[in-house]
Order: sequence, then structure tokens, then C-alpha cells
Amino acid sequence: MNMNSLDPRVNRLPVIGKPGQIEPKATLDQFGTFEVFVQPKEGKPFQHEGIVHAPNLEMAFVLAKEAFTRRFMCVSIYVVDTRHVYTSPMTEGNTSVFEFIHETPAQPGEKISYEIYQLVKRGKQHVHAGTVQAVTPQEAMSEAKKVFNTDKVIYNLWAIRTRDIRFTKPEEQELWLTLPEKKFRDASAYKAGDKLTEFLDKQKNQKFYGN
Amino acid sequence: MYGGGNTFEGIKTDSLAQEDPIKLAEFEARIERGEKIEPTDWMPQLYRKQLIRMIEQHAHSEIIGALPEGTWITRAPGFKRKLSLMAKVQDEVGHGQLLYSAAETLGKSREEMINDLISGKSKYSNIFNYPAFTWADSCFISWLVDAGAIVNQLANAKGSYGPYCRALDRICAEESFHLKYGHHCVIYLATGTKKQREMFQEALNRWWAPMMHFFGPSDKISAHTEVLMKWKVKMSSNDDMRNQFLDMYVPKIWELGFTIPDPNLKKNTETGRWEYTEPDWEEFKRVINGDGPCNKERLEVRRIAEERGRWVREALKAPKAAYVTPLA
Repeated sequence: MNMNSLDPRVNRLPVIGKPGQIEPKATLDQFGTFEVFVQPKEGKPFQHEGIVHAPNLEMAFVLAKEAFTRRFMCVSIYVVDTRHVYTSPMTEGNTSVFEFIHETPAQPGEKISYEIYQLVKRGKQHVHAGTVQAVTPQEAMSEAKKVFNTDKVIYNLWAIRTRDIRFTKPEEQELWLTLPEKKFRDASAYKAGDKLTEFLDKQKNQKFYGN
Repeated sequence: MYGGGNTFEGIKTDSLAQEDPIKLAEFEARIERGEKIEPTDWMPQLYRKQLIRMIEQHAHSEIIGALPEGTWITRAPGFKRKLSLMAKVQDEVGHGQLLYSAAETLGKSREEMINDLISGKSKYSNIFNYPAFTWADSCFISWLVDAGAIVNQLANAKGSYGPYCRALDRICAEESFHLKYGHHCVIYLATGTKKQREMFQEALNRWWAPMMHFFGPSDKISAHTEVLMKWKVKMSSNDDMRNQFLDMYVPKIWELGFTIPDPNLKKNTETGRWEYTEPDWEEFKRVINGDGPCNKERLEVRRIAEERGRWVREALKAPKAAYVTPLA
């Protein structure tokens, strides 16, 4: 099809298939999803930022860096397969999710560590509360209740096996060192006020002197 | 339950009569209190359906909108402008990613959304069916189309669906760079040579009608949206958004000494609202239904990109993976 585009690169596109027709995409053509967590500053907790679609954990990490840390402060990120996030029910009003989490009897097996995320305000992001040791995700939630249950109402809990997470390696932390130099991504780099004022003054004067 | 264990029924009917009245009342009370709805909360089918449609269209607009601007990257005047425009186009595609993800939490897969875009079943912002002839057209898009989008997005960011609001907060923060960059480009054209001024004036003449169309049909003729306003899916009427845009940007355009191609455009000092020649809604309908100058090109570029990338995606596909709905 000759598209007669203003862009010569569009006119050079190869002819494939038929216009307006797409072979319906199979499930997972766009891959599975991974949840992305970002630490904005040293000493601040990680928080959930969103998802990326990726063929594997390693690519998810790369794409998460591109999607969520192009600007603003960031010192570290991590990603985990959506299927590896264990979630509690969601509550509302004054009901804390801890009312639905019951003590789990001691489980046989090796205790491993779980990262616990909590939702402090509906509509906001899940924020990292800390790490607990448990055999199963249920036990991790029950441990979280013992450690993190304060007067504050918590609406939702996530438990993620630490070993399922793709963390930022120490040598990768320099990925974000150049962020502050990328001024071209920042609104403050586009100041044209002086140029505008000069232009307006010149126009005013031209009108005044009649030239 | 492991993450994203939600299952959703297909949308069978728009009728509210089939909804559980108690759940519906609780849902409406929650929105009334200003609380957000999250993916695992109960919601009426109509709410889900309309939100998917809205967020999906928004996502498609970001992806398709990157085309008329992206075409100017190689021809942008100078290294700095190229760098800025590349960053902006990257942002737009990133916004598409965020929005597709938000729509996915409502149960429509990304595969289905892309299928529907390419087959023409889903729409995207009509303004991108017009061509960007010169560098000045790309400046018009960066400044004023983005300004229009910000008016719309700031309103929607106060809506009721949590994942959409969070995506919009992030998007609006990035858009402030787009707007400043666009204004910067236009100021440089306006204060430049006679030729540069003419170039922007011509772009303005071309884009004014599509810009007026941008906020959708006049309230007088647009579909009934009361229930969507009550559910905070739609946050502002089309005419209100158009008026807000004119209020913010017409003075800035006039300040630069440009003429807006509408002799009837003026602010009514009594009502505080802008008066203008009624946009041609027949043209709007014609273009949105496929008969615009660039509809075919935009979809072809997307479709060919999908086709050319197919073998890569197939090679990367993990055989054991199973899809689950993302979390939030």
C-alpha cells in the first residue's frame, strides 16, 4: 500500500499482511506482568509503582528502569513476577486488614524471608513495611500482624518471598547517578521568559514610535 | 491468593437494573465520600466497561500521538531540540504503557486492546488523524495539544478509579516538561524571523479546528453522561474543558501576536465564558469514523510494527508463563 506519507521512512515500510487486519494476538503475545518497586531516596522505604510486561525477570528489571525512573530521584528498584505476590483481602473504613489475618500454627519446614507491603491509605501505593521470617505466605501475614500491627488502619497486605525478587545489584546503582544531569527532561530547563518580555517590550515600543 | 487472582465476567448488559442494589448503594456512597475504587472492589458492569473504554482510548492516543511528533525527531532544528523531542516522545509511549496497565487491572488484556486498535474497533484521540506538515506543527502539538491533554488529565486525576488516578498523577508530573518545552519552541518561532512567525501562524490555522474538536462534541449534542459524572468516571463536561483551555491559552497565543482563525472567538465578560464559531461536528464524526487525512497511515504504521515484531515476541515467549491480572 502506498501511504503517501509526509515521512519518507513510512513510505519505505515493507508490505506485510493487509491493512486493517491483524491476526488476533495469542494469549501472552505481550508477555506476563511484573510488579515494580522503587526506592526514591537512601533510607526511604520502597514503594509499589506499577507494572511492566516482560518475557522474564531480567528484562522486567531493564524495562522497569526505563518506565519508572527516567526522572526524579531514585536510588534502587526491584521487580517480581505478579504471580509471586501473595495478597490479603482489601478492607475499607475503620476496618483493618489485620482483623482478617489469624495466627497460623507453627508450620513444619524451613523459614525463609518475606517482604511485607502495606496499604496505609486507599488510593495510594503499597509501601514496604519490613521483612519477616516464615515457612508459608500465610504465616508471613500472621507474622506481619505481630510485628507491624499498630493503631493505624491498614487496608491491604502483600507478602513477597525475598528470593523471588530481582534486586538492584550494588554495581547497578550507578544507573541513576546521571539522573540529575538529564536537565532536558525537566520543565525548569525551558525558561523563555526573558525572550518573551524582550519581544513584548519591543512590540510596545514599535507601536509607540509608530515604526 | 497469589497476585492478580481476580476473574471477571464478560460485559453482558449496560443495565443498572441487574446490579445488586445494596452493593450499588455502597459503591456510590464510597465515591461520594471521595474514596478510590480499587481493582478488587465490587463495581457495576457499566462502570467497568466505561472505564476500560476510556482508559484504553487514552492509552491508544499516547501511542498514536507519538507518531506525528516522532516523525520530526530527525528533522528537529539542532541537537538540543532533537534531545528534548526524543525525551518527550519517549514519555508519551511510556504514558501509553502506564495507561494500558491501568486498563488491564479492569480485566481487558493488552493483546485484546492492541487487536481492537488495529482493527479500528477502539478509537484514539481524533486530533492525531491530521498531519504535521512543518516543524511548527510539531511545536503546536507539543505546546497546545499537550495543554489540552493536561486540562483533561488533571480533571480525570480526581476521578474515582485508583489505578487510573495514580497513572495520571505520574503522567501529569511529566507533562509539565512537555508544556514548557512546547511553549519554549513556540516563543522561539514567534520571536524569530518573519518566515518563522509565518510558519507558526500557518500551523495554528491548520490545527485550530482539530484543537476545538479535541474536547469532544458540544454538551448540547453529546451523549447522556450523568451517571458517569456521578461515578466520577467523567469529571468535567466537554464544553467546560474547552472553555478552561481557551481561558488559559488564548491570551498566551494572542500575546505572541498570532491570529486565531475564528472571527467569533471572544470572551463574554458577563458570563465569563468563551464564545466561538460552533466547530464542525460533522467533520469530527467523519474523521473519527476513519475518513481523515491520516487515519489509514497511523493504523498501518502500528500494524506493520506489530507484524514485524511478532517473531521477536514469539522467540522470547516463556513457554510456562500464565497470564494473571496485574495488582494495582
